[in-house]
Amino acid sequence: MSQAELDPSTLFTPPARGPRLRLQEVSKSFGSGAGAMSVLEKISLDIEPGEFVCLVGPSGCGKSTALNLIAGLEQPDSGAVLVNGTPVTEPGADRLFLFQETALFPWLDVISNIEFGLEAIGIAKNERRERALHYLQMVHLTKFANYRVHQLSGGMRQRVALARALAIDPQILLMDEPFTALDAQTRDMLHQELQQIWSATHKTIVFVTHSVHEAVTLGDRIIIFTYRPGRIKREISTAHLPRPRHIEDPQVIELAREVTETLRSEVRLAVNAEYGEDFQLGDGI
Amino acid sequence: MSVSSQTVGSVQPVGASSLNRLGKSAAKRLLLTGIYLVGVGLIWQLIYLLMVEVFQIWNVALFPSPLDVIAALADHLSDGTMGRAISTSLLRLFFGFGIALPLGVMLGLSLSRNHWVRLLLGPLVVGFQALPSICWLPLAILWFGLNERAIIFVVVMGSVFSITAATYDGTKLISPLLMRAATNMGVRGWKMFWRVVLPAALPAILSGTRQGWSFAWRSLLAGELLTAGHGLGNLLNQGRDLTDMALVMAVMVVIIMLGLAVDLLVLTNFELVVRRRYGLMNQL
Repeated sequence: MSQAELDPSTLFTPPARGPRLRLQEVSKSFGSGAGAMSVLEKISLDIEPGEFVCLVGPSGCGKSTALNLIAGLEQPDSGAVLVNGTPVTEPGADRLFLFQETALFPWLDVISNIEFGLEAIGIAKNERRERALHYLQMVHLTKFANYRVHQLSGGMRQRVALARALAIDPQILLMDEPFTALDAQTRDMLHQELQQIWSATHKTIVFVTHSVHEAVTLGDRIIIFTYRPGRIKREISTAHLPRPRHIEDPQVIELAREVTETLRSEVRLAVNAEYGEDFQLGDGI
Repeated sequence: MSVSSQTVGSVQPVGASSLNRLGKSAAKRLLLTGIYLVGVGLIWQLIYLLMVEVFQIWNVALFPSPLDVIAALADHLSDGTMGRAISTSLLRLFFGFGIALPLGVMLGLSLSRNHWVRLLLGPLVVGFQALPSICWLPLAILWFGLNERAIIFVVVMGSVFSITAATYDGTKLISPLLMRAATNMGVRGWKMFWRVVLPAALPAILSGTRQGWSFAWRSLLAGELLTAGHGLGNLLNQGRDLTDMALVMAVMVVIIMLGLAVDLLVLTNFELVVRRRYGLMNQL
């Protein structure tokens, strides 16, 4: 930035301001030589603090890879992932993952699973229990503090995983299809619970899902990916829809239809890549 | 009561009550084993009556009745030789197994942790596992002489590699998702090892321990049969030298009983507690 362009008001802006998360022309491919497959191509995306962003796209569009790059579990081939302006080089507890299959430790009970995360980030022993209980209460599982993981239902496990992540107090939550394996009623409940928690904690959330309806229900902004190589096809803002939203709200369904329309050609590409060119996809998708 | 609390309300946290239930189930297993053994004894007595007493085809010196065996057992219990044999053998076993267990677990875990250990010791472990433990005896005798240390060495070598292999295999089966979640939370290095790898591999380590126990038992008896001393293997040899088939069988029964008792009462129970805790079984 040249001297002439300096705006006096930016002189006092602390460096941490600006997007919470910035993907800068990020590319990633897997394999090498002729077998190399470009998964993400020059993705650029800014996500503001406290924003709830959903990534949708057909299978294989690289949306999970994008989460891995943000988490620091993988490194981009080119471009950069910046958190508060600092490049991501390794995994860190400021960006926490929630998986479709919960990664809770079966040898620990519920409360100890939450405390495990607190121990990992170096919280003193006498503080852990109280903090763990606070977040267990946030996901309404106080009664189950001493249960084993295998004694809980899928939805309860996902809530424990959410409590474990929230207790660590990360800046960004990375959710990789966390509700896909759950039944519809449980998923609806968790949509409500997640919206409540999000508005109470103001976490920045990057949420990957196959379900367009889920994306419209939860997100402020929906990023639609193209099929391989994944690029950003379109962004749709849902911030104008009132919250809390339900997956069957008319406005949600209406907007979801628009997203689906945008996605259709990409899904066709994905289906043809998997089934072969001669497979005819009906108009239902 | 609401539907949700009904579905989960029937499940109790794992605690004292389930340990109690485990104790009861151990007693039940022991009782069933006892009934089974009495049945085997009855069939044996029947065969004895037919072949030795009625048709007189078999020699009583080579096929004693279960009552003869019990009498031999009582004899040697009352004169102290059996008690001494049992304590000698168990002492050797506990020393040998006591060394083999931590050694095997450590070796298995370092195989999983370190690429170089895997490269250098991996093939060795597989090779030694294939070597019958008694093959260590000549070497042990030359190294240590014909004494306790030689036998304990054979017991250690006989069981350590199966524990190593089971432990290593257990670490290979750990869900990558758990490791990924822990990495994500900032867990690294030794902390990852103690707090994630070790507990995650525990069920496999316990299975390896059971297997190692039976290998240790076999190695011990093989060693004792080929050396002098006061162990159960030596008493077995004494029976052969005196053509005392009742004594031979009595010692064999004792060996089986001791192996079973430790397996059922200690190892299996411990494994059940752990598997139940981890949710690796639906019911007992």
